Amino acid sequence: MNDLIRNVDTPEDISAAAAELRQVGAITPNATLDVFEAWADALGTPEMAAIPGITFLRLWLRRNTLEPIITRELGQGALDDKWMEDGRARLKAYPVGVVGHWPAGNIEIQPLLSMTCALLGGNRCLVRIPKGLRDQTRQLIEKLVQSDSDHLVTSRIRLLVFDHERLDLHRAMAQSVDGAMIWGGEEAVTEVRALPFPHWARLAVFGPRISVAAIDAPSWNRPAARDVFCRRIARDVWQFDQQACSSPQVLFLETSKGHPAGEFVQALKVAFEAENRVHPRETIQASLTSAICQARASWLLEDVANSATFPTGPEWTILLGQGSEIPQPTGGRTLTVLEVTYLLEAVAKLNGNVQTLGLAMVNPESAATVAAVAAFRGVDRIVPLGRMHVFTPPWDGVDLIRIMVRMVRHVRWSSEPSEGANDGEW
Amino acid sequence: MSALESRIDELLAVPPYALAPQNREPAFLALLKDELDYACSRNSRYQNYVRHWPIEVRAALKVADLPYLPVSLLKAEPAFALAEPREIKKTLTSSFTTGQMPSRIALDSATARRMSKAVAAITQDFLGAHRRPYLVVDVPGSVAKGPEMGARGAAIQGLMPFASEVTYCMRPDDAGALMLELDKLLAFAKAHRDSPVLVYGFTYILWEHFVKPLISNSVSLGMANIHILHSGGWKLLQDEAVDKKSFNRGLAQVFGCSADRVIDFYGMVENVGVIYPDCAEGNKHVPAFGDVIVRDPLTLEPVEAGKQGMIQVCSVLPTSFPGHLLLTEDLAEIVSSDGCRCGRRGTCFHFAGRVPKSELRGCGNISRSREPAYPR
Repeated sequence: MNDLIRNVDTPEDISAAAAELRQVGAITPNATLDVFEAWADALGTPEMAAIPGITFLRLWLRRNTLEPIITRELGQGALDDKWMEDGRARLKAYPVGVVGHWPAGNIEIQPLLSMTCALLGGNRCLVRIPKGLRDQTRQLIEKLVQSDSDHLVTSRIRLLVFDHERLDLHRAMAQSVDGAMIWGGEEAVTEVRALPFPHWARLAVFGPRISVAAIDAPSWNRPAARDVFCRRIARDVWQFDQQACSSPQVLFLETSKGHPAGEFVQALKVAFEAENRVHPRETIQASLTSAICQARASWLLEDVANSATFPTGPEWTILLGQGSEIPQPTGGRTLTVLEVTYLLEAVAKLNGNVQTLGLAMVNPESAATVAAVAAFRGVDRIVPLGRMHVFTPPWDGVDLIRIMVRMVRHVRWSSEPSEGANDGEW
Repeated sequence: MSALESRIDELLAVPPYALAPQNREPAFLALLKDELDYACSRNSRYQNYVRHWPIEVRAALKVADLPYLPVSLLKAEPAFALAEPREIKKTLTSSFTTGQMPSRIALDSATARRMSKAVAAITQDFLGAHRRPYLVVDVPGSVAKGPEMGARGAAIQGLMPFASEVTYCMRPDDAGALMLELDKLLAFAKAHRDSPVLVYGFTYILWEHFVKPLISNSVSLGMANIHILHSGGWKLLQDEAVDKKSFNRGLAQVFGCSADRVIDFYGMVENVGVIYPDCAEGNKHVPAFGDVIVRDPLTLEPVEAGKQGMIQVCSVLPTSFPGHLLLTEDLAEIVSSDGCRCGRRGTCFHFAGRVPKSELRGCGNISRSREPAYPR
């Protein structure tokens, strides 16, 4: 256990950990999946339930989830480590080597989600655990240790704990890897990407983005459907405390004749109150409370036409206004509802800052049109409301397993070269 | 408006720390409600904010129920005012660093007058009423004559009613840095060695440009009968690992007085007219015309004595800007709601520092949190 999570203090500690990993042999995706399946079972205990995102992690680790992803990304036969025929050649996924992971500091399951993507490609992993996630990661990894008695997976990982300001250790980690998965805010990903990685290292950067929800008029002007959608939005807002890039910060609400937007906000308020009763915050940073109070005040002071609904505490906030301009995210259960005349027009103004569009549209053809426009504008995921956080590749438009494998092409000779034959005539 | 002003003046006329909380609260609450009504009538945007507050103003049962404004909302250009531009006589600005916007506090004549009166009432309670030589550990230019005045200038100006004469012992060098005028200081000390003297300086300036050079030159001014007031926060001194005790000891050594002659006060330009000096028990007190509520960041409910939270300052003094109820970005601990051993009535508290900057947030963080470089 101690060997898996290490407090490191010198660059040599890190290069030694990487060297250990390089001694470990190959593993098939199938063998990895067996361990993951057992790990998912082990995570189903009551004490794990309090870790945010645990449900998603368990779902992600299931063979039923991962098998189709591996097959789609790496090809038929990849599960059993077989070559895939490609004309005269054959293809097979090989790991890039040792992959370093720099997860964001506040998504509890992210270090392990990131790690599993690289493990499924056969890689070995150095994972930097942010200080604030150390305890939860330890709990999660203990369950992996229990589930992997033959050390098939645990032999392939080292979790490193060191202060975020130790540039020498960040540099040492970068120099020790063949690939990196980097997650977080703008400054963090920019700094990590600038570390001295080997020239061959493959970098996958999942930088800062926001997400948007959208509801067309027919989806909310019937009370029953409206209430269902409001519950789904509340669920999407609550997950990860609205600090993940897949969390909706804004909801576009298409104007519905005869139904004022305030009607929708009241239903949303009921849904937020219900979600808060089930999942109340247990702690909050004072700076976030301050940001929430500022968001409420600045919204209402900015324009007398703006309105808002919120309780006396910082539990949740609904800001209501008009237009399609996305305000700066607050990231604290603060949803800005923007009333728009035509949903398509609002979606057409999105850009690559938007990762996910959570959609509620009754007409499938209209939904397909909106999805196509959003995709063209730079949105990478268009999903139904309530499923914005469901972690499944491609993520940020990137295949999460394939990004850390090398597709090796083996071109076989069709026949022995005969004497006098020109090059290229084999 | 004149009726409102009369009620504010009545409260201002009461000795600042004489009222028992239960005797003060009803009138204070009623006055704040009327001031909020007045503020709403003067500014439709502010009215929009108050209208959406979860508790209707007239239904509020206590001051803590009333709509408070985050202090950062006063960082605006032009100043967020309730008065017409022609009525604004002075604009106070908070201290700020490059790239930040300062708070701008618009003062009309009435608010400015109340501000001076309030600071004088508080200071008098701590120092007595008589005038005395006033040594300012700053440059004369800090008190600008123009329409804008910074936080340092406002603090220096606020103590002028206690001055029989004013001496500034700093000057800017060619690069604009602060230089101690030692000859001038020694002459002042010689002239006033045995008389009561008032000294004011910003905390960091006092330490960096006064205490440190004088101690290193083994200067002692021999002024035992002195009161040294300072304000401006401890952040820079904490970076140098200087705590309050060693700061007080350093000043006492330089002036040749006892350390209890050093009085730290908390204040901010946004909370015009209210300063919170330390009493002999080391507590900060709330005057009759103001209040302090400490709120739990998790619930925003007022905390009990002994618990820390975010400071909300309340004041009936301003009528030219919406500064009646301000949620600050500072932390404090309520010591008690009444009964400090120093004899002052009402709430007292300990300042506990600034709200820490937010830690790195997730990937849904597009343009906030510029602080940390690497994931924490």
